[in-house]
Amino acid sequence: MKDVIICLVILVLLQIFTPFWWWIILVPLVCGVLLAKTGWQAFRTGMLSAGLLWLVWSLYLMFSGSNIIAQRIAIMIGLNSRWLLVLMTALIAALSAGFSGSAGYFLRAALVKK
Amino acid sequence: MKYIKLIISTLLVCGLFYFLNYQHGRLPPLGKLLNPSAGFWQNNTSGDKVPEELDVPGLKDEVQVLFDDRHVPHIFAKNSHDLYFAQGYITARDRLWQMEMQTHLAAGRLSEILGKSAIETDRYHRRLGLLYGAENTLKAMLADPESRAAGEAYAEGVNAFIHMLNYKSLPLEYKILDYQPEEWTALKSTLILKLMSLTLSSYNREASMSTTREALGDAVMDELFPIYPLFPEPIIPAGSPWNFDAKIPEKPENEFRFNKGAVYAPDEEKASPGSNNWAVSSDLTSTGYPILCNDPHLGLSLPSIWYEIQLAAPDINVYGVTFPGVPTVIIGFNENVAWGYTNAGSDVFDWYALKFQDKNRKKYFYDGQWRPVSTRIEKIKVRNGPNVEDQVIYTHHGPVVYTDSKSSLFKNIPPGCALRWTAHDPSNDFLMFLKLNRAQNYDEYVHALSFFDCPAQNIVFADMSGDIAIWHNGKFPLRWPGQGRYISDGSDSNYDWQGWVPRADIPHIKNPERGFVSSANQEPTDSSYPYYLGSSYGSFTRPARINERLIEMKDISPDDMRRLQIDTLDLKARAILPGLSILMEEQKLTPAEKAAFKKIKLWNFKFLAELIEPTIFEYWWRELANIIWSDELEHPDGQLNRPGTNVTLDLIINKPDSPYFDIKTTEEKESLKELTFLSFKAAIQKLTERFGSMDESWTWGKARGTDINHLARIPGLNRKNLETNGNSGIVNATSLTFGPSWRMIVALGPELKAWGIYPGGQSGNPGSKFYDNMIDDWAAGKIYEVHFLKKPEIKEEHLSGKTRLRGAK
Repeated sequence: MKDVIICLVILVLLQIFTPFWWWIILVPLVCGVLLAKTGWQAFRTGMLSAGLLWLVWSLYLMFSGSNIIAQRIAIMIGLNSRWLLVLMTALIAALSAGFSGSAGYFLRAALVKK
Repeated sequence: MKYIKLIISTLLVCGLFYFLNYQHGRLPPLGKLLNPSAGFWQNNTSGDKVPEELDVPGLKDEVQVLFDDRHVPHIFAKNSHDLYFAQGYITARDRLWQMEMQTHLAAGRLSEILGKSAIETDRYHRRLGLLYGAENTLKAMLADPESRAAGEAYAEGVNAFIHMLNYKSLPLEYKILDYQPEEWTALKSTLILKLMSLTLSSYNREASMSTTREALGDAVMDELFPIYPLFPEPIIPAGSPWNFDAKIPEKPENEFRFNKGAVYAPDEEKASPGSNNWAVSSDLTSTGYPILCNDPHLGLSLPSIWYEIQLAAPDINVYGVTFPGVPTVIIGFNENVAWGYTNAGSDVFDWYALKFQDKNRKKYFYDGQWRPVSTRIEKIKVRNGPNVEDQVIYTHHGPVVYTDSKSSLFKNIPPGCALRWTAHDPSNDFLMFLKLNRAQNYDEYVHALSFFDCPAQNIVFADMSGDIAIWHNGKFPLRWPGQGRYISDGSDSNYDWQGWVPRADIPHIKNPERGFVSSANQEPTDSSYPYYLGSSYGSFTRPARINERLIEMKDISPDDMRRLQIDTLDLKARAILPGLSILMEEQKLTPAEKAAFKKIKLWNFKFLAELIEPTIFEYWWRELANIIWSDELEHPDGQLNRPGTNVTLDLIINKPDSPYFDIKTTEEKESLKELTFLSFKAAIQKLTERFGSMDESWTWGKARGTDINHLARIPGLNRKNLETNGNSGIVNATSLTFGPSWRMIVALGPELKAWGIYPGGQSGNPGSKFYDNMIDDWAAGKIYEVHFLKKPEIKEEHLSGKTRLRGAK
């Protein structure tokens, strides 16, 4: 749980002050290297922190002025529902961050000899 | 094992990054796009609120901008530089992507954004000489201090906005198509004017006319394609005197004949840009001052072609619509005058057949000698692909657009011919807008018009002193009657344009007796006008309807004008339906056909969305025209040119026994009576096949409707299936993709009042509530009273935002 909070806080700060999306890959990766104890834990840390962040953030925006654009983008992508688009946003973050988290852990596991 | 896990998960992460960070075909970079912190989620309604203060480096003084309840900016500057600077800045804030997209289109640079799929479109626009023409226009624009200052200040303003952008604030389409804006230049403003010249002055079918003449002979051509229209309704009322001597070039004795032209491809949804405008004198209005109206019909898109604005500085206060990318107001009014356009349609676009010395095409034959060509290299950059270098041959006529038929993108471009087009000539057209914006009376209006060459327009005018006028304004070549209808001989100087119609002689009228001036793309004059200007004008149906209503009306109020702009009565239907109904052999119809016929017999000729009758009539008319002409116009390669609506109407109304009604493939001799029956049956069959039996699905609004597509055709950013009234050839000239792109009514007077609407919204941001907010009211025929402010003050309930632009210290 502590890992999730650390990862989330770093992500929030970096995402607020810079426009780059790939923090959700890089930050969980680094957390995976430094914090995780198992591959699954690293996956869960990334998935929960980035997935929750993008889910809550897009939901918040949906209720504060982004509902029009979300509906249009949903149609553009072929989802037709903006709520599905929120889910897709969260899912993409969760999966990218999850996999990069475990990649981070595996990297450490490969480098550090027991 | 641990290495395998590492390798698999690393590959997976790299794959995800590659998939989410880059564009794949039409799929946008999803990671960037869906990122809540900077992706599409940020292109939301927060942009609708403007900051109270903004530091904008480059301004000389403070500029105040008030946004009203439709997000129309009212710009108050202290000098001319700041005015056009602020116009550029504010317009870019709402429409930057559109501005850049349209100029990339005109310059033949779409491939830089869209990749190799756009190469042929780019080649076409380059080879047509749009960039070449824009460069010539730019030279003229920069040579004049007034136009140079405005063009450069505007560009500075646009760039000031571009420099403030970051990924988060980038307009949505940049994120979807994954690229960045570049610096704005004055050249781009001229490119937009060239794009308008292409839309409005490049109509031509000389290639197919030449083929048609070879097949049918001159006598039949004169009958089916008359030089002067059969139902005249000229802009300058018939019988007006001409007080000048005209020098007309001689037609060469053995006229050149070209027989390698293409054939015409009749297309079903044929709609062309057109427009209506008129001004009524103070004697006829309820307000005691003139009223001026304009509705230009253009291809409809989102973002809209127009951006509404008020521009005020110490020596100017003007309101109207602008082209995003061009400084000044294009259509509008100031405190004393109002003006508007319809397309002139006179011929300024000719093809010249060339004889080259050999396959290398280095020299062409001209007046007994071999003349060298010049070559222009067009370099097309292609995204994710090798660049393309294209060589375009230029003769003294102009560019050879395509050298062979294989590479020709459009059938109406004859391969191996050179293009002579006024849009290539240097001219400071832009100066007209600058001067019209500040014009105070008729003389200043006429002076302003003299700077505008292409695309020629019927420019209507009214002022506070009570003058009304219209000029068929542009640069027109001297022609013998009919010159330029067919492909010309490029090797004989007798076919070259021999000079220009003097500006004072071009058709115009001021304060005519009937108390109004009007135009709707019809012929400018009757056949007594000494110069020949062209023969591809619009049909009489729209102008005749406008004129009959204006003649009937008295004590005209602005709301009467609104009702006339959305008038849906079809003169074509009124002219032929009663006669066709009498000819119809009703007893031979099936019950379903009978039911449809009963409906249309009682119809009031109005193209209203909720009616079934217009749909039946439209299908019937199409079938009737097909059955009359398709047998006569057969050609081994397709179909020859089809005569215009007026000729078909003339046959139906005046010549019911014309041999053209006979169907050549049958033994019997048909007349209009048989064709009436056959075409009606065919129409009902088509309708039933398409929509099932007659019910609500046959209503005009559902069967035809209007689509407003996004400029880059991105799904989700458009508005489709609008149930609209009107049709082409009707005052409310709304069709599937064309329509009244801006409706304006100006009631001049000490307390000037004006109304306007266009099918779109002020913001180009698809996430804004101002993206498409005017569309439903536009479709319903409503119009908004505009806020023409004298001072930077507006009632609180009409204010949506207020900002002060300050030059950075």
